[in-house]
Amino acid sequence: MNTIPLLLYLAAGVLYAAHFVTRNVTVGRSSTALLAIGALAHTFVIGMQTMAAGHVPIAGTTQAVSTFVWLLALAYLYMEMTTEERALGVFIVPLLVALQSLRALNPVVEKRVPILESPWFGVHVASLLFAYASFALACVIGITYVLLFKEIKAKHLGFFYKRLPSLDSLDLMNARTVTLGWVFLTIGVLVGTIWAAEAKGGPIFDPRVQAMSLADPKILGAVVCWAIYTFALYARRLGWGGQRAAYLSAIGFAIVLFNFVPIGYFLTRSHNFGG
Amino acid sequence: MHLFLLGVSHQTTPVELRERLDFATKGLDAALAALSERSSASEAVVLSTCNRSELYVACDEVSAARSDLLEFLAEYHGLEAAEVAPHLYERVDAAAAQHLFRVAGGLDSLVVGEPQILGQVKDAYAAAAGGRTVGPVLNKVFPWSFTVGKRVRTETALSEGAVSISFAATALAKKIFGDLKGRTVLVIGAGEMGKLTTQHLKAQGVERMLITSRTLAHATALAESIGGTPVPWQDLLATLGRADIIITATGSTLPILTRSQVESVMRGRRNRPLFFIDIALPRDIEPAVGDLGSVFLYNIDDLQAIVKENLTRRAAEVSRAEGIVADEVRKFEAWLSARGAIPTVVALRQRFETIRRHELDRLQPKLAGLPPEARTRVDEITRLLVEKLLITPTEQLKSIPDPERVRTYADALTRLFALDAEEPARGEPGRDSAARRADDAGTSRTP
Repeated sequence: MNTIPLLLYLAAGVLYAAHFVTRNVTVGRSSTALLAIGALAHTFVIGMQTMAAGHVPIAGTTQAVSTFVWLLALAYLYMEMTTEERALGVFIVPLLVALQSLRALNPVVEKRVPILESPWFGVHVASLLFAYASFALACVIGITYVLLFKEIKAKHLGFFYKRLPSLDSLDLMNARTVTLGWVFLTIGVLVGTIWAAEAKGGPIFDPRVQAMSLADPKILGAVVCWAIYTFALYARRLGWGGQRAAYLSAIGFAIVLFNFVPIGYFLTRSHNFGG
Repeated sequence: MHLFLLGVSHQTTPVELRERLDFATKGLDAALAALSERSSASEAVVLSTCNRSELYVACDEVSAARSDLLEFLAEYHGLEAAEVAPHLYERVDAAAAQHLFRVAGGLDSLVVGEPQILGQVKDAYAAAAGGRTVGPVLNKVFPWSFTVGKRVRTETALSEGAVSISFAATALAKKIFGDLKGRTVLVIGAGEMGKLTTQHLKAQGVERMLITSRTLAHATALAESIGGTPVPWQDLLATLGRADIIITATGSTLPILTRSQVESVMRGRRNRPLFFIDIALPRDIEPAVGDLGSVFLYNIDDLQAIVKENLTRRAAEVSRAEGIVADEVRKFEAWLSARGAIPTVVALRQRFETIRRHELDRLQPKLAGLPPEARTRVDEITRLLVEKLLITPTEQLKSIPDPERVRTYADALTRLFALDAEEPARGEPGRDSAARRADDAGTSRTP
């Protein structure tokens, strides 16, 4: 069932690429429409799984990745609508396709363990997924900033010069998405900490809960991310805008992604709650 | 009905005469009023820009329109017709539409692809529409030209890229800073070149302009003329920290800004980008300044290279734009020739209808004995018969693309059916009752 949004994202990605190269308005509109239909289909898929399982499918890494893809698609569509700028789609949509194919290749039905029957759980995962989606946008915006910066600096006004918005607006968008992501990352980590402390003393014994400490790679990764983005925000005041902010958000998201997928699948002992 | 154009442009006419033929100074409304008063044309639009003065009219007789317009053009501007005539060009029908489409698409402009012309064409049409001097032909061809202009702009790169130094510099500034409102420009040197670029930046929304020159009086003079603030020369370095865009255009033989000077300024700016536009020869800014992070340095050669590249790219797009124009002209031609067939088609229909009614009237005594439903049916059958007989010839006539052939066919039809003859008088008396019956038939069919 997760292949339907995947195929729609894939088709949208092809159209975004075509739009980026040809800058044909009709192709651009069609790519947005296709992505919106994909996100809508994805909404239905997630909605139906929620109905079937009785809760939002976000416990296992695979399900969480898919929900992340859905959030990122929505966040990107929102950004496109508010900025009237669809040049970044060609960078974002491939990420959607890559991550959604993880879900499509791994069609497990989620079963939730009793320890996750807590109101904290939803807040924890939802904030973090939203934070990751923001960081993904910030990273893509940062990469395009660097590409455009290098073109203008080298006086070779070409491909990106014609297609991207101004450096100033890219920098502003980067600052906004990092700030938004940071707020949700902070909420997610705080809620996770409180919940883990509560659960350790709680009635249900689960070895994964006992493993929740800074020594666990997943938790360590999240804290490192938080440190990087906190620094990125603070450093802006010291003149670390533009290129440096762009590089920081690329590094930050690389760690987010690494922490999310490989660490989530193979290394963590505290956060493996399903396929 | 013909579409006829008479005009002058930068292609045919020196600027001295173009100035004297300009309509904009006295206003388009006055020109339109004067034109419709004296010309035999039923519709008129006046297009007047600094590069062209053109009169578009719809008329029955091209030769009459030609002499009317020439007389009007000369008289309105107080010139001799003989003075103007050699510079004029004229176009008829499809050629006139082609000219208008090329103008609207920016293909006939001095700088190919310049975007203002489409707005000027729209204004010319709006003035004529407001003055009610337009009719079916111009109401078709002008909005059509807007579509062509829009197609050229969106489907080709004809209007893309700056084609002057000042525009190239402004476009770069916008790509770096986005909205230029709230940005500060510092102009170093009070020469002409710097003034031009500054004016472009101002047109793009820059509000704060600081001007400095070794001679404060020059800076003050330029500041007054463009609405900026003069800054004393010794404050130059202190002012650099406040500026976003710096234009240098001094006559100095040695660089006036060195790498170490700019480097010290950048520290205080917390890496906010600084854009140097060095349009002086020899250069005012040490090239090494461009190596600093967050500094963009473009000199006159760099800007000229951009302009040259853009011009080449535009030239490459001309043939695609011409293709769009040709495509639309073909469609317009088909419309125009279909329009040429309309009077004949109408006359033919009237003739057939008259015959039908005449025959129904003649048969009325015999039909009177029939029940009402049968009479209605007879009326309906005859009407359908006439319609079916006419549908193919009508479509055939309208689909002929060549206006000359349309005229030949129309002449033949007029001749064969004697369409220009008076209608037979004896058909007239029964006409009212026949029409009433046709109405009855129409209402009885709807439940």
